[in-house]
Amino acid sequence: MKYLRLIGLAVIFCLIFIPGNTFLCQAYEDTQCFKCHTSAKKLIEATREIAKTRPALKSAETSGEG
Amino acid sequence: MEPLAPHEKIFVDSDIVDDENHGEIACHECHGGNPDDPNWKTAHKGVVKDPTYPDATTACGDCHDEINENYQKSLHVSLRPYKLIIDERASSNTVIRNKLGCAMNTHCSGCHSSCGQCHISRPNSVEGGFLDGHLFQKKPPMQEVCTACHGSRIQKEYLGEHEGLLPSIHREKYMKCDKCHTGDEMHGNGKDYAHRYDVENGPKCVDCHKEIYKREAKNVITHRIHKDKASCHVCHSQHYNNCSACHVGKDKKGLTFFKTKASWLDFKIGLNPLKSEKRPEKFVTLRHVPVDRGTFDFYVKDALSNFDTLPTWKLATPHNIRLKTPQNVSCNACHGNESLFLMEKDVEDKEKKANKDVIVPANLIPRKQKWQPK
Repeated sequence: MKYLRLIGLAVIFCLIFIPGNTFLCQAYEDTQCFKCHTSAKKLIEATREIAKTRPALKSAETSGEG
Repeated sequence: MEPLAPHEKIFVDSDIVDDENHGEIACHECHGGNPDDPNWKTAHKGVVKDPTYPDATTACGDCHDEINENYQKSLHVSLRPYKLIIDERASSNTVIRNKLGCAMNTHCSGCHSSCGQCHISRPNSVEGGFLDGHLFQKKPPMQEVCTACHGSRIQKEYLGEHEGLLPSIHREKYMKCDKCHTGDEMHGNGKDYAHRYDVENGPKCVDCHKEIYKREAKNVITHRIHKDKASCHVCHSQHYNNCSACHVGKDKKGLTFFKTKASWLDFKIGLNPLKSEKRPEKFVTLRHVPVDRGTFDFYVKDALSNFDTLPTWKLATPHNIRLKTPQNVSCNACHGNESLFLMEKDVEDKEKKANKDVIVPANLIPRKQKWQPK
């Protein structure tokens, strides 16, 4: 009985801490946000596309120290 | 500060999943958007770039509740002193004040910080970009965060970037901003301060240099003689940056700009405009600030019709401290040396009235000393 309890506790511990974390990480990594934002290649492609359509944000008339 | 390529600004380090505190929070929980949409254009619909501004409660408040409680009153977020000072100089006419308010929203309100813009990315006002792949930085890096905004004065002074001037001795001791400006000071303590110099847990030189008034201390006589008469900076600061005549507007494309007429290095001792129990000194270093009667002329004329209510030479705490400076090599390097003091001749006619309380009359300049301590 005592052994069963110990085994039970160990199983619960593993379920909560070890696999749980892995599952969470997997879920996290599966999102499109994560897939794209951790890929330099994909980001370069996207930012180049944005740059084509995005107007300048800074005025050339700014001068002096702020 | 090294500029970042557009993709670098938004590149997330996959190590973020190993962050035991933040790694389990999915992107969309803070930023919104659709995490299942493979098309980045539509996936970003509703995305919030900085979910910590103006309210950090949802993103940070659950765990960092104490910091979040005071967040809105942190001067880096509220910008309250800026608003109060402009308000004091502003016209009492309601129509003009409304137009001034719009101009300030356009030009001034962007210069704030947030949890995210210190601990995750560079501030938006310097075009943002993750500090280290969205990994959370407990201590914001000095040159990418602090001096990214506080550049033209603090950075150049502290790092010794002005030609002919030395860096602060504190820089040479490898001290970074947070050594003096603690997280508690940055995060605020829930009080609505009217001025950054009022902040109770702001740094004081004597917090570290406790021994200077003790009998056995080096230069104890000099320090005791000048206690409450001259601020530390009067003796230990080098020349520092001053600006004038900032004007704001919009160009033909509708993009905002600012122009300052001039900036110059100077060192001026004046009468303390913020005399208080905390800052009882009679003499302090003064810096000319960029505000001008016509700063907002592009938007509305005479916006600052009460311009003279505050000085344009303001109490300054330059960040280029040295043990030895030209003005402290001997008593008479300063005493009787009119060129160090802000006198009437140093102030433009149109600003004389505004600065009447900080200009040092000739009879108040300390007289030359016959006796000098060894």
